[in-house]
Amino acid sequence: MHIIQILSLLIAITTIIGQPVQAKDMVIKEPPKSLDKFYPPQSDQPKWTQQMHKLSTHFGGVFINLKEKDFENVDKHAEKLVEEYKKTSEMVPEWEEYFDIKAAEAFAAAAKTHDIAKAGKASGDLGKTCGKCHAEHQVAVWTKYHWPSFHKIKVIDPSSEKEVYFHKFMKQISGSFKAMRINFGEGQYGRAARALKTFKSEYMELKSTCSKCHTTDDVKRFYVGGDASRAFAGLTKELNAEKPNPGNFWKNVGLVGKTGCKNCHLTHRTYSMIKEVWEEK
Amino acid sequence: MKLSTRFLNFITAIGCFAIAGISIAYFLINEKFEWIPEAALELVREKVLLERPDAKRCSECHKDIYEAWKESRHSISWTSKTYIDASENRTKEKCLACHIPESVTGEKPIPRLELRDEGIYCVSCHFINGKMNGPYDLVAPPHPTYRNPDYVNSKFCGSCHQKTFKEWKSTGVENTCQDCHMPRIKSRLTQKFPLSLLHKKKWVGNHKFLHGDITEKDILIEVEFEENFFNFSLLNKTVPHRVPTADNGDPRLYLYITFLNAAGELVDKNKWIIAPQQDTALLFNKKMAFRYRLFVPVAHANIILKYQPAWSKEKDLIWEKTVHRKIK
Repeated sequence: MHIIQILSLLIAITTIIGQPVQAKDMVIKEPPKSLDKFYPPQSDQPKWTQQMHKLSTHFGGVFINLKEKDFENVDKHAEKLVEEYKKTSEMVPEWEEYFDIKAAEAFAAAAKTHDIAKAGKASGDLGKTCGKCHAEHQVAVWTKYHWPSFHKIKVIDPSSEKEVYFHKFMKQISGSFKAMRINFGEGQYGRAARALKTFKSEYMELKSTCSKCHTTDDVKRFYVGGDASRAFAGLTKELNAEKPNPGNFWKNVGLVGKTGCKNCHLTHRTYSMIKEVWEEK
Repeated sequence: MKLSTRFLNFITAIGCFAIAGISIAYFLINEKFEWIPEAALELVREKVLLERPDAKRCSECHKDIYEAWKESRHSISWTSKTYIDASENRTKEKCLACHIPESVTGEKPIPRLELRDEGIYCVSCHFINGKMNGPYDLVAPPHPTYRNPDYVNSKFCGSCHQKTFKEWKSTGVENTCQDCHMPRIKSRLTQKFPLSLLHKKKWVGNHKFLHGDITEKDILIEVEFEENFFNFSLLNKTVPHRVPTADNGDPRLYLYITFLNAAGELVDKNKWIIAPQQDTALLFNKKMAFRYRLFVPVAHANIILKYQPAWSKEKDLIWEKTVHRKIK
């Protein structure tokens, strides 16, 4: 019986959180506009996400309490699950067909038998409804509501002191970074030093711009933190020296690339590209 | 007794009663409001004032405070173009709490849904837990007001200006945010004549929330020419937080230096941006040193310092100086 309980629990959890994508190709389609009202700024809270958490909590609550033989709470969670599931099904009309109220009610009825094996079995049909929607929309919803639209972001160009679009600025900063490296490689240390000054001021402008979203100190340390600052100090030191040390210079170039460029690109570029496609439509 | 004398006596008596009545009312309202029966106060209470009214409603009595607030950045915290642009049309959830706070209490507030265009308004700061709060206990017949010492305490401002509050705290300076940004004058809290005359003048803070001008006295510079370097340092001498400061805004100091040769020709130029969001803002009373490599002979340097507030594209000149290399 113990093994059956564990297996049922595993099946249930796998069903609800890990419904695999059925097709090999994944299409990331922009979520319907009707979802906008459940996310800021139309809503003061990310209400759709909160609704998902409620469903997940009540679903999990059924199994956790079955395992503990706390049947009063099993019944409460089962009833609340049906209630919230119905409510969720009415929130986004375009997604109504993903919901199967009968499956939710059947699951609640099975849970109320207090037989974990029956509940596990009944969770399958319900879990499939969640899984199908997640497989088709979860990435898109996260992308739309939890990631910025980079192509709308403007950065102050420290040279002209005018705002420029992010993508243009990234090309500019990439140019300054290259100018520093190429000039150094050619032994033009004066030009490399000027390019470093420009590159650093542009890099610091990114810090200003990024801080509009990244408002906590922890994340600021991550993207223009101690490593990047030390790398810039190292580059400045070499380019202020009478005879710069190429080894130290290139080591610090690598550090800037790794701690600055790469970390942020890995985190943001994919989502930025998806949003760009949607917003170009 | 003549009729005219009787009439005069009658008028005098009425006048005496009126003066006595007003004096008693003045005394009670300002000195012993606890003596006024609650039932009497209930007759003049305006319950709507305890239902989160808009600022215009408050202005019916608090005209001066309203007009000062209207000129403040707080009044346009939701509607300013700077905010709308920076928050991607107000879609950034994390901005909401401080741009449309429900109640400011010394902790980070939560955002509200109603009257968002009012920004940070009277109710946001003065209406806490269903009661009107302020720096004084007041009978204020339309609505009672409860004294809360937080209103003269920097922590209150630190609810939203958290970073600036921490900066100020680390300086150890006693002057609070309110001392500099809400300077007090003796004035009446209300201007609704003649009832306003029943209130004693009190120290009233400036609700424009003054930004403060940066002058030559505030930011000092020291310079030194080395063989191949131009060294300089900046010192924030007077402002007990970083300059500039902002939790999320982007105010800046721009320092422009042009380098001239002995013939007075421009041979090099550069600029430095000093900004809180780049972690380069000037600490209070601590020199910040800069070192710039000179690749050509330089005899003079012309230095200009400008300030650009977070909400403006314009820069104000703070000072301009020319320094000369000493000839050995």
